[in-house]
Amino acid sequence: MRFQDAAPDARAIVYAGIQADPLVARAGELLAHASLEQRILARAVMNGETTEADAWRAMFPTLFGADAEAASREISEGILAAALSVAERGEQVRSQFRGAIVESLTERLLRAGEPGRPAAAIRRERRILFDGVPAEIHPYDVTVEVDGAAVALDCKWGARGISADVLHQLDDARRHAADDDERLGVVLVVFDAARSCAVRLDRQTAPHDQTRVIAIEDLDELASPSGAAR
Amino acid sequence: MPSDGPARDSPTPPPATVGAAARLAIDGLAALGELGEEIDDEWQYIEDLVDAWRTRLEAVEDARGEEALAAARGVAVARIVDEAGLIADPHRAIDWLSTLPQVALVALGERP
Repeated sequence: MRFQDAAPDARAIVYAGIQADPLVARAGELLAHASLEQRILARAVMNGETTEADAWRAMFPTLFGADAEAASREISEGILAAALSVAERGEQVRSQFRGAIVESLTERLLRAGEPGRPAAAIRRERRILFDGVPAEIHPYDVTVEVDGAAVALDCKWGARGISADVLHQLDDARRHAADDDERLGVVLVVFDAARSCAVRLDRQTAPHDQTRVIAIEDLDELASPSGAAR
Repeated sequence: MPSDGPARDSPTPPPATVGAAARLAIDGLAALGELGEEIDDEWQYIEDLVDAWRTRLEAVEDARGEEALAAARGVAVARIVDEAGLIADPHRAIDWLSTLPQVALVALGERP
């Protein structure tokens, strides 16, 4: 089993520009330190229609009301501002930003879990190659490239993004690794409620019993030591 | 293009009890479900999603129905239902089938 950079096709080049946008990094950093409620705020605003900050403050009184702690409120305001910056973009661009933000958040949480790990151990947009197996077309969003504890992660904005194709690709990679006597953990990170993920998975016939799904409630598990490899 | 819509001119009155807030969210969920069902391929998922979140909200309604709701929390639920009412695209309605109940439950002090 070996990892390789994805070929830079036209889609990848356009998407790389979005991934490199400072707004993605800012949102990813804010969300890495956010509470569940603050993450739900970000999800709602980036999904929403209204771009009036006060309207959103009214929808989250525990984050923005008089009883909110000043430090927490400051983070909430930062998340609200970043999320509104995404929401104000056109639908297609907004969708790309949301995906890139979940990837950025995932990478940051993984790095936080093991700060001593070499930077090169966590990568983005990588393929995984196995002897005698044709390479998958789509690269993995995030990979942890550590001997004996390698992980491939796909990131989704919503539970609806969980599809048979995604589940097959992850499970195929896990099985191919096992065939090579290697261990590859496979993880779906979904910036949506566990309940919605469970509903989506319930009718999926694609194999997923060995695929770990980390929903919005459990994102901080990624920031624990070996968080993705469990 | 994101914008303010009719709901801002005629906002939903804030509910005064947890039960009324949960019922308001359930009604908003049902409206989103109807819109989302325009996407034929996702019909079953939408049915399942509406059912799952309705069940969760009904559990809150049953457990805390008569409990008085702080004004700000009532406004929060009314405003999120209004926000969901602005959604006109069926694909986005499917996203909101998950978003609306999460925000409403947070406003009610519940874990989604």
